[in-house]
Amino acid sequence: MKTSFKYLIKRILMTIPVLVGITLFAFLLGVIAPGDPAVEYLSMDGVSTPSQEEVQNARQTLGLNDSLAVQYIKWVKKAVKGDLGVSYIKKTPITGEILRRLPITLSVSLMAMFFVILLSIPISLVMALKKDSFIDKIGIFFSLILTSIPGFWLAIILLTIFCEKLKWLPTSGYGNIKHLIMPGFVLASGTIGTIIRLNRATLLEVLGQNYIITAKSKGLSNKIITLKHGFLNSLMPIVTVLGNYFGAILGGSTVVEVIFGLPGMGSYVIKGIMSRDYPVIQGYVVFTGLVFVVLNFIVDICYLFLNPKMRLGGK
Amino acid sequence: MKKFTKNKMAIIALVTMLMLSLLAGCGKNENNNGSAAATDKEVVLAAPRDLAPGEKDAYYVSSILYVWEPLIGLSEDGAPKAELAEKWSNSSDYKEWIFTIKQGVKFHDGVSLNADAVVKNFQRYTNMKTKGSPFYSFNVEKTYPNLEGVEKLSDYEVKLKFSKPISTLIYNMARFGSAMYSPECFDINTGDFTKVVQGTGPFKIVDRKKDQYVTLERNENYYGSKSKIKSVKIKAIPDAQTRYTALKSEEIMGVMDLGAITPDLAKELLKDNNFEISTSKSTITHFISVNGTKEPFNNPKIKEALSLIIDRQTIINEFFGGHGTPTMNILNQASPFAKEIKPIYNAAEAKNIIKKELNGQATKLDFIIPSYGVDRYPYKAVAEYIQSVLNEAGLNCNITVLDGAAFKEAQKNGNYHMSIHTQGLPNAEPFSIFEGYMKSTGSSNKAYSLGYKNEKADKLINKLTTTIDLNERKKIYDELQDISAECPSSIALFEDVNLIAYNKKITGYKSTLYGTTLFNMEWSK
Repeated sequence: MKTSFKYLIKRILMTIPVLVGITLFAFLLGVIAPGDPAVEYLSMDGVSTPSQEEVQNARQTLGLNDSLAVQYIKWVKKAVKGDLGVSYIKKTPITGEILRRLPITLSVSLMAMFFVILLSIPISLVMALKKDSFIDKIGIFFSLILTSIPGFWLAIILLTIFCEKLKWLPTSGYGNIKHLIMPGFVLASGTIGTIIRLNRATLLEVLGQNYIITAKSKGLSNKIITLKHGFLNSLMPIVTVLGNYFGAILGGSTVVEVIFGLPGMGSYVIKGIMSRDYPVIQGYVVFTGLVFVVLNFIVDICYLFLNPKMRLGGK
Repeated sequence: MKKFTKNKMAIIALVTMLMLSLLAGCGKNENNNGSAAATDKEVVLAAPRDLAPGEKDAYYVSSILYVWEPLIGLSEDGAPKAELAEKWSNSSDYKEWIFTIKQGVKFHDGVSLNADAVVKNFQRYTNMKTKGSPFYSFNVEKTYPNLEGVEKLSDYEVKLKFSKPISTLIYNMARFGSAMYSPECFDINTGDFTKVVQGTGPFKIVDRKKDQYVTLERNENYYGSKSKIKSVKIKAIPDAQTRYTALKSEEIMGVMDLGAITPDLAKELLKDNNFEISTSKSTITHFISVNGTKEPFNNPKIKEALSLIIDRQTIINEFFGGHGTPTMNILNQASPFAKEIKPIYNAAEAKNIIKKELNGQATKLDFIIPSYGVDRYPYKAVAEYIQSVLNEAGLNCNITVLDGAAFKEAQKNGNYHMSIHTQGLPNAEPFSIFEGYMKSTGSSNKAYSLGYKNEKADKLINKLTTTIDLNERKKIYDELQDISAECPSSIALFEDVNLIAYNKKITGYKSTLYGTTLFNMEWSK
């Protein structure tokens, strides 16, 4: 247990350089990208073209004339106090915007996760049990389709069927569970396909292990062998994929958010990137960085529970 | 075999049950538009963006929702008209302006519109100086240059004093330049709104979720003709295809704002007899800007050839559903000072010019398109059409789509040859358009690397800064428009239209120069 605790502390300490690295990287990427936030702010109405003098004044006001090091250090000083700054364009505090948008992204992500678990695990289990059967082949085809379909295309198809034709679901917006079904499914579709194939392969590998043959020779039923010994042992790679996947969708999915009119994290950062709104990009990077760190941490804890070797420090 | 079939059936049943369970309770969409019988029923519309950005925006809500009203408005022909200011007068030297405010007008919060309220609004303007907005950025120096003070003369009269003459003040003030709000709803120092905006318009905001929707309700105490509809909800649906589906599913009854519906989707929608479209003049002109600081467009002859080789009417017919007016005028027809200048299409002449000027040598051109033009307009198709036309003349274009910031950067640094973009009219005073595009030091001239230098234009624009007489100014504007057609800084392609679509379950909903007839909208009987 002491080893496990040390392991977790080590993981927590590792997050500090990770966060510094990604914020610095994001800051530099933003700065070297062509475009000027001052111009974007002054021409946000799409009508005005600012003069050089106006641009220079705006750059001064926004602190963009400081050296890159000064700009970054100023930002870090505020960020460690929990202040992610104010958007150059909208003039609204970034922390507030992230907190306002987080529940929306979280709901869609949870819905997507629900679809992934609900569909991929049972289907892959059945496929593994019925290896090389007609059902297995249908499952492989289904998973391939889901992995290959572009999200925007699937979204249009779903909109046409469930909104335009059947009028069962709302096209866009955020309000109740009905608003989350289509975005959740579109967001989940690719991962459902991936998990089906991954879980089927892992399960088949586990079911071929010696201890499974031993269990069979002891007369245990197929059901117990698969669920108790096979399925649980096949979960490690799934947990890793799901952890990373959840982190990725918590960062927001731009396409899904734009198509379904969801004002979540994805649409926020894409507007920030388009208008070179550096504080927004930075704030987003810190947020997603933290999400990934926390989720990886949770995945590590899951490992400790799932794999006794980890609890013993890999011995 | 029997076992296999049984298992297969079980799987199919399981998957079906899962799908059904997800859709459980998802009966008919609970939209509020259902029956047209109840006239008080809320109408739901949609726009591509949030039309009520809120507290930090210069106006809180777009003017097209009729929540606030200005002192000076704009008529359908683009001329200034009296709104909350009943009348106005000016001193002979145009340094003092007196505005008489309409009586009996109250803001939504019950505060009276009077000279005190107007003065406080002007204090807000001068204190906040500039404030951004996706609708129109406010800049007190541009709208009220050399403003010295605002003073209350009586309960319903205010005087604006300027250190230098300004004869075009009401053109500057029109619409976004003189929006009036209850002094109770804004911070006079920062200009930020401290609560939901309180205007004098026929609608008031009763509910709002940022970036999602805004709900308006009829202002029962409105001094003019009251809105026919009691409640309207305007959703923000950024994606054009989703707005189209929402229209078809009757989740929304109509669309509004810039790029409300693309011309091809409007055409598709009209195949369904339940829908109608409405168009009106727009303040937006589509332009081709070229880099005049490097070859080949530093040669005015090549620029002329480019204008001649483009069949503007074909672009309108093929890509914009026939909605638009070909033009060569830098000034949009929505301006009260605009004159009609018809473009000339002569591809043969253009090819001859290009051949002669470039000695028959093939030239490679970088043609850049802003991403907003791909989302809102069929710019990629238009660019491909121009590419094919120029290819015949030996000019080979490489088309690149850039996001807005990168597009502007490429234009500013001259890293392009051709670009396509829009230009809207900032207000009723066209000075900024002429100065920006045609003056040697103009902001658009520099920002787009137009490399435009025309001594006559420079002189006329300088003369405008000291010309007070409006008739004299009009003559100069006319001359500048002629110069812009003969020797363009940017090549005007055509004037856009405001295109909206709606379900026939509503009536009275039409497109106007600056929005829609929202207040005339009602359920069809």
